[in-house]
Amino acid sequence: MKRRGDWVSAFIFLLPLLFTLAVAFIYAFVRTVYFSFTDYNLFHITKFVGLDNYTQLFADYRFVLALTHSLVYAVVVTASQTFLALLLAIVLNQKIRGLTFFRAAYYVPSVASSVAITLIFIWLMNRRGTVNWLLTALGRYWPLIVIGLALVILVQWLQVFSERRHGLPARAFDPALLGISLLTGVVVTTILGQLGVVHPYPMADAVIPWLTTRKMFLGIPLPLLSVMMLNIWTTTPTMMLLLLAGLQDVPQELYEAADMDGATPGQKLLHVTVPAIRPLLFMVITMGLIGTLQVFDQIAIMAGVAPLESTITLAYYVYWNMFGSGGLPKVGMASAAALVLAALTLVIVFIQRRVGFSEKGWYS
Amino acid sequence: MRKILLALVIVGLVVGVGFAQDKVTIRLAGYSGDTPLMQDVLARFVADKIPGVEVVWEPITEDFLAFVLRTLSAGTAPDVFYVDLGWAKTVAETGLVEPLDDYMANSAVLNKGDLIPALENAFTFDGKIYAISKDFNSLVIFYNKDMFDEMGVAYPSDDDTWATLLGKIAQVNNPGKWYGACINADAARFLPFAFAAGMPFLKDDGTGPFDLASAKLAADWFTSFNRLGISATSAEIGAGWPGAAFISEQAATCIEGGWLIPPIRNENPTLNFGTTFLPSPWENGPRSNYLFTVGYGMPTSPASGRPDLAFKVIEILTSPEVQNYILESGHAIPSRAALLNSAYFQQKDDFAQATKKVFEATALPGTVPFTFGEIGQGVYMGAVGEALTLIMQGEETVEEAMNEAVAKLSK
Repeated sequence: MKRRGDWVSAFIFLLPLLFTLAVAFIYAFVRTVYFSFTDYNLFHITKFVGLDNYTQLFADYRFVLALTHSLVYAVVVTASQTFLALLLAIVLNQKIRGLTFFRAAYYVPSVASSVAITLIFIWLMNRRGTVNWLLTALGRYWPLIVIGLALVILVQWLQVFSERRHGLPARAFDPALLGISLLTGVVVTTILGQLGVVHPYPMADAVIPWLTTRKMFLGIPLPLLSVMMLNIWTTTPTMMLLLLAGLQDVPQELYEAADMDGATPGQKLLHVTVPAIRPLLFMVITMGLIGTLQVFDQIAIMAGVAPLESTITLAYYVYWNMFGSGGLPKVGMASAAALVLAALTLVIVFIQRRVGFSEKGWYS
Repeated sequence: MRKILLALVIVGLVVGVGFAQDKVTIRLAGYSGDTPLMQDVLARFVADKIPGVEVVWEPITEDFLAFVLRTLSAGTAPDVFYVDLGWAKTVAETGLVEPLDDYMANSAVLNKGDLIPALENAFTFDGKIYAISKDFNSLVIFYNKDMFDEMGVAYPSDDDTWATLLGKIAQVNNPGKWYGACINADAARFLPFAFAAGMPFLKDDGTGPFDLASAKLAADWFTSFNRLGISATSAEIGAGWPGAAFISEQAATCIEGGWLIPPIRNENPTLNFGTTFLPSPWENGPRSNYLFTVGYGMPTSPASGRPDLAFKVIEILTSPEVQNYILESGHAIPSRAALLNSAYFQQKDDFAQATKKVFEATALPGTVPFTFGEIGQGVYMGAVGEALTLIMQGEETVEEAMNEAVAKLSK
């Protein structure tokens, strides 16, 4: 039986959080629901329009595009980043040299400002940017690269062969021999290039418009695909860190027992590691889905460069209705879209929990 | 003793109130790029001129329209803020921007008729004026004289047609050293050419006009520079905007307004450049241009509670002294009709001549205000801009891209 005083002190401690929750969430949510049934534009007395905003939403081709993009984005990015994060976590959970360096280095993309990263990314993907420059270099110099590589392999094989014939224990990738092979390969290729025996391939500059195009790849607009790759690169490390923490808690005895039963590494991953970190996988996937469904900053910065139809997602559609069109804000439409996004997020997380990984752990 | 105390208290109160009144702060918000100029102007002409008023400059880096709409609806709008003609109608429709007719009627120094009529009309909606134009601008071709001399090409001139200008830019293009031009897929640069070719703002039935032959003709010409490789976009050159590519001498020409003059003066003052009108589609053909202007507006209920003082600040900022100062520093063309005969326009240096050219361009027949009516600026410009990008990249034909733009505007 609790005393009355306990309730009071508990309530006082909860008050700051309850207050911010009430103001920033409940009040805002109720207002959004209300606005979604009106034609409010931030300034004028509102008129109740019933479900008009919702029917207009689904009639607006931009909303349908945004919805499709958001779903594709969430599924592809969450799946890729979870898989990569698990892979990285397993690698970084091994006892390898320079472990702390790698853990720190892999985490850098997550620490850097996503705005700054997106801007740098836009420069790299420019029509005359670094990515196209690299592609041009590769396209031009592949004959030299191929010949150089072939030479390296040939010289290495000759050296190893000759060492072994003399009864010396040379490994295939002996570092000293490899150094000589590389040097020979580079010098000979350079001389061949200078003498004009091997020509670079005559290719025009690659000016692939990665970000300003309407082209698609597997049904996904290229600019959106670029943002996806960027997002996977920046979020994977955070997820990796979470999974790494989980991996370190997996009891070593389980692996020992599996070893005794003759389990392969693949079986150990699927039947020991994954079930043991199930609650963390649930968290990583759920956070991934929520984060990707609400992606905004990278899309907003990209919007200055890429066509609207090629990058628009639901969260950006909400913003676009408020401030993007140049006219008075369409608060009703924006609110309706925001609620659709919220409902969608709930439904997807629910489905994920039912058919994918749930938070139920190893022991439950 | 009591009386002395009472007197002290009263004096204290009066002084206190006096100090409190000393602290009226008038917030003035504008584009962050104007910060050096506006701080200079405020220090020279405004500080201490209105007793008891301190004017604080608020540079805005976010989207300015979003800033104005957000602060107006929240009741935290600055006492004075920039109003761009491109979205002036949108903010006037909020009902929270103060009509300035009464203030002008009662003003000793700023009355109706003091400003150039076109600029007064531009900010007048339903018979009420919502902003005082501070300056104006239009587009001209900037060209680098040294580059044309080096390549032995005649300078662009007012007699040029689309075809002759294209020829000159092709000749001045010097691969590996500089581009003939720096042109972006920018609707605000393209539309004047489309209007000159005969494209209306909208078709009679209110739908997008971009599938008309005139629009396609203009789009074909406008994008031909980049498709021929004699021009590049500023992003391809690695410059922030076409003006920057021109200043850094990576492009021989660009289409800009008077706003390019101060950066040239600051960053490359020895640049040997000239300016000329936008070419017309054919010999002795029509021209068109955009009239850009930014004004000062006020909210209906300013946070300071002193709209009268806010208007006083506008009076000073649009006074002949301030406008002449801004003109002579090469920043903008004054909106006051009386200043159009300023001696500055007679000076022979490149900067004064360029300013004069921009000013003359605004007076040519066919120059239209930079407005978008009921259609949002973002939607209209976005539809055309994307079409131009796709044509420049060779991803779609003029035909396909412009038809698509119509569809987008109609949806």
